[in-house]
Amino acid sequence: MEIVRDPQTRTGSDAVDVRASAQPTDRLEVSRKGPPVVSLKGLSKHYGENVVLDKVDLDVSAGEVVAMVGPSGAGKSTLLRCINLLEVPDAGTVTVGDQCVDAGKEVSAKDAMRLRRTAGMVFQSFNLFPHLTVLRNVSLAQERVLGRSRAEADARSMELLERVHLAHKADTYPARSSGGQQQRIAIARALAMDPQVMLFDEPTSALDPEVGLEVLAVMRELAESGMTMIVVTHEIPFARDVSDRVVVMADGGIIEQGEPHQVINNPQHERSQRFLRAVTER
Amino acid sequence: MEHVSAVLLGVPYTLLVTVVALAIGAVLGLPLALARRSPLAVLNVPARVVIDVLRGIPPVVWLFIIFFGIGNQFVTLDPIQAGSLGLGLISAAYLAEIYRSGLGAVHSGQWEASSALGLSRTDSMVRVVGPQAFRVALPAASTYAIGLLKDSSVVSAIGVADIVFQATGDSRATGAALAPFLVAAAIYILLGTPLAIASRRMDSRLRMRVAR
Amino acid sequence: MNADLLSNWLEWLPDLGRGLQTSVLLAAVSLAIGIPIGLLLAVLVSSRRAAIRMPSIVLVEIGRGTPALVVLQLVYFGLPNAGLTLGPFTAASAALALTTAAYTSEIIRGGLEAVPKGEVEASQALGMSYRDTMRFVLIPQGMRIAIPALVGFGILMFQATSLAFTISLQELLSRAYSIGSSTFLYFQVLLLAGVLYLAITLPSGWLTGRLERRLSRHL
Repeated sequence: MEIVRDPQTRTGSDAVDVRASAQPTDRLEVSRKGPPVVSLKGLSKHYGENVVLDKVDLDVSAGEVVAMVGPSGAGKSTLLRCINLLEVPDAGTVTVGDQCVDAGKEVSAKDAMRLRRTAGMVFQSFNLFPHLTVLRNVSLAQERVLGRSRAEADARSMELLERVHLAHKADTYPARSSGGQQQRIAIARALAMDPQVMLFDEPTSALDPEVGLEVLAVMRELAESGMTMIVVTHEIPFARDVSDRVVVMADGGIIEQGEPHQVINNPQHERSQRFLRAVTER
Repeated sequence: MEHVSAVLLGVPYTLLVTVVALAIGAVLGLPLALARRSPLAVLNVPARVVIDVLRGIPPVVWLFIIFFGIGNQFVTLDPIQAGSLGLGLISAAYLAEIYRSGLGAVHSGQWEASSALGLSRTDSMVRVVGPQAFRVALPAASTYAIGLLKDSSVVSAIGVADIVFQATGDSRATGAALAPFLVAAAIYILLGTPLAIASRRMDSRLRMRVAR
Repeated sequence: MNADLLSNWLEWLPDLGRGLQTSVLLAAVSLAIGIPIGLLLAVLVSSRRAAIRMPSIVLVEIGRGTPALVVLQLVYFGLPNAGLTLGPFTAASAALALTTAAYTSEIIRGGLEAVPKGEVEASQALGMSYRDTMRFVLIPQGMRIAIPALVGFGILMFQATSLAFTISLQELLSRAYSIGSSTFLYFQVLLLAGVLYLAITLPSGWLTGRLERRLSRHL
């Protein structure tokens, strides 16, 4: 199974060159050399007195898989939501592909929409549209945002549903699918927009451990196909085995990052030691 | 301006009918709600029929049945009595349903806890469940009361000299067809708004007390 | 007395039946005009722009704060002063449609707000515009959530058609009243009118209950 299709079969007209370098060659090689797809500079966000993000910098290269771990309240999800402007940062710049937004200036709805188009997002609670069939869930934004015809969009949707092994669910409503299936549908829905990066916000936290595995399997295949991914997760084995880089966040900042085995087996920062001991020793 | 003073004459009647009807409804609604919740069919079936029939016939039709029907043929009632009684009976049905959903919203654990403590059913109801149900039912009950203030305007149809009745009379007397009714609309809005604000305030105060 | 009552009722039934038809038609027309306006108002009231939101809220609050009976009098007796004369049925439809719009806008707004926030975020994350999110995600689901309350309101609106008696529309109540005033059997004929109202409101009420249970099962 290969989730990112090769450039020839790509139906989206606005695919950007960056992704050509994200082809399934040697992934590590690519990830280290590719240009940044996501670049965050000095990102800050606070709610009232509470500082959630404190001048965070982060670059993610094309084809790189970044796992973000850390205690709850560290700001991981907020950081992820700032990347596609579901939360508007108070300060800093967000660059995704060739779209750049400066939080210091007024962020228009148009800018936000353009930026969101380049980033696909998968939520903890799936957030499928319950009143639409699975197929319509995947096709709707392709038609409305990318301007694809219904036939084009549906064909693309079927292709993606097949890749997450759920083509047989196309004409059913989401409520008829299990949580794990719904999350795979949500992944297909995000992929249908031909994003340059996929953002995962604790995609398995709402699922039984066993069901979570089928979602992780899809994500692993996606990673192997060369998709650029940022994954907020508590699944340490996934972070260790699948990601190229583990980023540890605590108290609104990145406290440690690096090669997965290195960070997970031998964390340097006292705070990451405490956190990783707590999650790996249970 | 003369329209305002003319229409204002109706305010005491509107308030009188509304308050009396609410009082009747608040009292009669209670046994109706308890009967409706009873596991005994002899109680809950008639209660349900009474509630459905009271709520299923338009208020103005009830007023006509009471004032022209009963009033002409059986007992003589004046318009205010007929209006208050009719709206009071209808209110009893609506308030019974509001009480009932308030009682239903109190967690069954509260009943169990009070009977585990040895409280009688009456004590559980009066001291534990009732006050909590009251709290839950209050927003719906006050919304109903504000609605009733406006709906009481139907009593003008049987000749109670309320706001609408005065507006109609003033309109006939002066030939001005627009102004009296605009004044009436404004008065209803002005009467309803403070009630809405007061009920919201009382609601948040009670919520704080229960939360504590 | 019982045989009398029955033969009277049978005699009045055709006339009252025609009145009932008028009442049902009036309710249907008012709802058909009022609910789409209510939807529009709900969307305007949910607007992020204060310049759109504030006037809409004021409009809705005035509409909800004014008794339907007063709106009816205004439209039928007041508008001719402003140069617009409407027949009883048109005036009643317009007045009840206005009241419907104001009330249903709040019901529909409640439905829109009940749509899980995550779905709005999902459509934003897909790059969909506010307008598209409204149209394809919020409105279809919000309306579905609002259906039981809308049916409940529809029953109240059907009852409110009896207010058109005051502008001498030949609906159910006014036909019953005129039979009453010619036979002096007010009680008997008004009772029949009540039964006819119940014939519509009771089944509709049961339908609402079932609808509510069905829809809550699906969502």
